[in-house]
Amino acid sequence: MNLKQEFITIQEKETTARVQQSRVQAVRLKDITKKGVRVYSEGKIGISGAVGEASDALLLEQAEQNLSAGIAYPYPLTKDYKDHRNYNEAPLSSKEVLEYAEEVLAVLRNEYPDFSFSEFVASNEINVQIRNSEGLDLVYQDAFFNIQLILKEKATANLFDGGLSYLSRQVDIERFLNFNRGFLEAYRNKVDLPKDRRLPVFTIGTSSINGFLGRALHGERFAKGSSLFSGKLGEKLFSERVTLDLMRDPQCSLRPFFDAEGVVLPNDTLSLIENGKLVRVLTDKKTAQLYDLEHTGAATGAYDDPPTIDGAHGQSLAFRTDSQDVKGVLAGQPGIFAFIFSGGDFTADGSYATPVQISFLFDGERLIGKLPEFTMRSHINKMLGEDYIGTFDNNSLYLGDIPSQLQGYFMDIVK
Amino acid sequence: MYSFPRDLYVDVRVEESFDTQIRFKQLDLQSQKVRKEKGAFIRVFDGQRWYYSSTTNTDDVQAQIDTLAAMANPNPEILSHPIVTAFEVNQETVLQYEKSSVTDVPIQEKQDLLHEIIRQIKDETIVNHSSYYVDNKTIKSFYSSKGAAITYDQQTCGIRVTLDVVAGENKDQVSISKGATSVSELRGYADYLQQEIAKSVAFVRYAQPVVPGEYAVLLSPEATGVFTHESFGHKSESDFMVGDETMRAEWALGKQVGRDLLNIIDDGTITGNGYVPFDDEGTRGRKTEIISGGLLTGRLHSTATSVALEEGLTGNARAVDFQFEPIVRMTTTYIDKGTRPLQDILAEMDQGIYLETLKHGSGMSTFTLAPARAYKIEGGKITDPVKISVVTGDVFSTLLEVDAVSEEFELTSFVGGGCGKMEQFPLPVGFGGPYTRVRKLQVQ
Repeated sequence: MNLKQEFITIQEKETTARVQQSRVQAVRLKDITKKGVRVYSEGKIGISGAVGEASDALLLEQAEQNLSAGIAYPYPLTKDYKDHRNYNEAPLSSKEVLEYAEEVLAVLRNEYPDFSFSEFVASNEINVQIRNSEGLDLVYQDAFFNIQLILKEKATANLFDGGLSYLSRQVDIERFLNFNRGFLEAYRNKVDLPKDRRLPVFTIGTSSINGFLGRALHGERFAKGSSLFSGKLGEKLFSERVTLDLMRDPQCSLRPFFDAEGVVLPNDTLSLIENGKLVRVLTDKKTAQLYDLEHTGAATGAYDDPPTIDGAHGQSLAFRTDSQDVKGVLAGQPGIFAFIFSGGDFTADGSYATPVQISFLFDGERLIGKLPEFTMRSHINKMLGEDYIGTFDNNSLYLGDIPSQLQGYFMDIVK
Repeated sequence: MYSFPRDLYVDVRVEESFDTQIRFKQLDLQSQKVRKEKGAFIRVFDGQRWYYSSTTNTDDVQAQIDTLAAMANPNPEILSHPIVTAFEVNQETVLQYEKSSVTDVPIQEKQDLLHEIIRQIKDETIVNHSSYYVDNKTIKSFYSSKGAAITYDQQTCGIRVTLDVVAGENKDQVSISKGATSVSELRGYADYLQQEIAKSVAFVRYAQPVVPGEYAVLLSPEATGVFTHESFGHKSESDFMVGDETMRAEWALGKQVGRDLLNIIDDGTITGNGYVPFDDEGTRGRKTEIISGGLLTGRLHSTATSVALEEGLTGNARAVDFQFEPIVRMTTTYIDKGTRPLQDILAEMDQGIYLETLKHGSGMSTFTLAPARAYKIEGGKITDPVKISVVTGDVFSTLLEVDAVSEEFELTSFVGGGCGKMEQFPLPVGFGGPYTRVRKLQVQ
């Protein structure tokens, strides 16, 4: 039997200072290894996996046994490509994490006694590898410092009222504190919602839209006719300023630069919607071959799964920056920065509504005051079409050194 | 078994899990895997701070204990610390799935069970479908330096089918699922799954956009379960209240939060996703009446929160798996059944919305329910399907708007997903209840 072999290894290390009531309440250490093995023979794939140390010989034996399930995989393996990347060669020690946590919490306790802060300050290290018998050898290593503190206003009976967030390869505690001093001062300044029924709303990250677009760009759904975009390849969908990429650059995403089939994109990126026009959809090797679509390297899957196109793709999508100067675009008009807007959703035809739990009045550069809760409503075609304001590099809100973007749309406001 | 260091409290939780996952795309097998994992979570407490470690090297737990102990400050009075004093010391083995273990069912039988269900999917509007069977059996062992020694098992299995439906301009992806505690129980749900598939296809075919506004809303048992979990359940988790005088005053025991027909219960002894015979710090699971006759009568606790708030233990300290520490979580949480037939409640509704199934929910100061299948209510009858983005309400006032609960009652479990709290997701929980009428909610 002519067996081809593929090995996937994921190592995660973590030191976490658990925070409760603005004090370090616990310290957690984690060191987890996951290993997956795929074997390929006569157009079939066999898989196995283990958490913890397991010998390659044992995993190979189990994967060979799994071949008998008869799962088809008649596609060529990615081969003869080596790329090892380490995006942070100086991860923090556990001692440094605790020192930073104590430093941040001391400032917050002292300067903001009207708030309490909970959750964690952590350092994470990740090492993801995929190697195969055909000469594929990819390694992604990274490390980042992560502050996620839930903010609770002591005077309210809410579960929580907001949060401080920081994700960075290099630590700049002073800059973190300086930005969040402004954030918390804005939080203390309660302001009214502008009276207009339609307002410019800006968000950091685009997870709701990306989740919806990820489903619509799913190659198989596109080919089967069940996607909102089915039959529209080459057609203009949105504003000419909208370009959406499949993004695998770890500088921006803190994720591996390869997909579950070991495919690396040229320059780590590939456009799917270009200047508003649908140019490609998400495909793995199977979807591309089965439906005669361009292969775009969008395979997903757990370490012990066969590759598939069926994963959640929202996190791998990124809008290209198309606009500068949020303040200039607002031209003195009040804008809204929506900070927490959870629980809403798109309907299948693209209508969108969500409560906005935490938001601020925003002049394009700084947060002015905290707004009351409201609901916002629109449709995907309007948000990325006639009501699209633009996608901007985020130079206003300091969330660490991982690049982020602000995206704006005019939304219908329901009080 | 372990050598526990002096003058420190230590506990060790070892989890040994067995998982099966079988996936089909239409009738083609996509994957079939059995995963066996073993890991441990170790906690050391010196009276001031906790030290945690998770490891997949369960032969090396002693070294992890020693490492954490070296970070801690030994405390000769540790045994009289209020939290340590409050820890239960149970010594028991409860293996209730030995005779109906999913590990004993051949994988081909599991595959055949799923294949038989999807083989019958023939509606021409279903242009694609994918499906999976999953099961999990976990054996947990818990040992503490106070002498606790517990072993018990938990088991669930389920089927989920996702359909791509295209009916003219109406397109949607819909999912149907059913959970159970044994493969034989799951076999009994084959007809149920077929009926749900037919309902979902009809929904996509005929649903029209809702007219946004304020409506009286009738919740199915499934929707009642998510509503209860999101609108109130998280508020009953007492870690949010420790050290927070405003929260304690707002949610003081004895306060009226609903009408006298409203009773909400959390019960870790019910089998299914929320089955917790012992929680993850060794406390025996039990039934906790959170709201009785509309009055707040209890809340959910870990040992630390029960000590801080001077209330009894409830067995609600749960971790999503061996990589995490236990925090306060729900088990099976539900509104208790009422005394009125559903038909009588429905007959009183001239106009409203019926929420039958949900995609997801969330709960902050505003709770949200994102419906999968929803229908108009007109003249006391459930009529046309409507597309809704989100239904929202205020967590502080909505329970007072519950004005009817049915005598019909059902508990259920999701397959895939679960409850998320901060970094710990997805935790399996059970939920359900009666048909519940809420006088007004915002529908978008």
